[in-house]
Amino acid sequence: MYEDLEPEKVSEQEASPLQTIKELGQMGTPSSPPVEELPFHCLTIIGQIEGHMVLPPRNKTTKYEHVIPQLVAIEQNPKIKGLLVVLNTVGGDIEAGLAIAEMLKTMKTPVVSLVLGGGHSIGAPIAVAADHSVISETATMTIHPIRLSGLVIGVPQTYEYLDKMQERVIRFIVQHSRVAEDTLREMMFRTGELVRDVGTVLVGSEAVRVGLIDEVGGVGTALERLSKLVAQDRQGGVH
Amino acid sequence: MLHTVLPLEDVLEGIEEEPRPTMQLMLGGVTVEAEPLGDFQARVVRVLSTDPRHFLEPHCQPGTVIHGVIV
Repeated sequence: MYEDLEPEKVSEQEASPLQTIKELGQMGTPSSPPVEELPFHCLTIIGQIEGHMVLPPRNKTTKYEHVIPQLVAIEQNPKIKGLLVVLNTVGGDIEAGLAIAEMLKTMKTPVVSLVLGGGHSIGAPIAVAADHSVISETATMTIHPIRLSGLVIGVPQTYEYLDKMQERVIRFIVQHSRVAEDTLREMMFRTGELVRDVGTVLVGSEAVRVGLIDEVGGVGTALERLSKLVAQDRQGGVH
Repeated sequence: MLHTVLPLEDVLEGIEEEPRPTMQLMLGGVTVEAEPLGDFQARVVRVLSTDPRHFLEPHCQPGTVIHGVIV
């Protein structure tokens, strides 16, 4: 369907900046034959998820204006059979996070998420948005409410507004994972586990036990799942 | 509006500092974010791609100085 879209023209366009550099004759350009096309692409969600506000340079950020077009490109490329989303994030902008999660959820390309290190706060909806989610044994996920103090930037929000934002996050997680709403709310407002806040830290298998994540594993597990999903997809089974 | 485990003071640390200017470049079909260094040079900051092969390209590794960039 997309193959007819004049691929020659695109590659010509892509080559032109390189051509300029080559002409200057200083940069070492790859001369070895290209590595065989890989069936799965990998999207990393790292650091803070940056949304409407550019964060100070000390933050390592994932910008949604980078991520969303990439997802669109992946969805249209018939050569890309599946997408592995690797999460190691401390959270970030709610709307950007939910936007990425919604994009992943609605993609026809099979998506598997892998939580490595951390998938905190708004990282949780992104992790559960995949067709299958995997968490590494030592990875942690912090489930906590959107705070009233400190984390409101720009707009003067009311408590009611915060509450609505909170509901958006809870609803998304409940709809797209096996976790029960009551369990999620209980974890979110639990006291005594976090020093400065209410909430719960889930480590590896705990996230699977409560039903947030599907399986404990690593990159091998995730890629294997992705292969299975692709095979199912061919038979029209996934979506 | 942020939903993060980091305290706001950490997120906003250095908000007064000027961010390092970066630019997006195409290197052999790979989009990278690079920091201009002047003298027709730029340093690769990160690869903006989901194709795992692009991360193996030696000329795209973060920290690599590329020559011939008009800045």
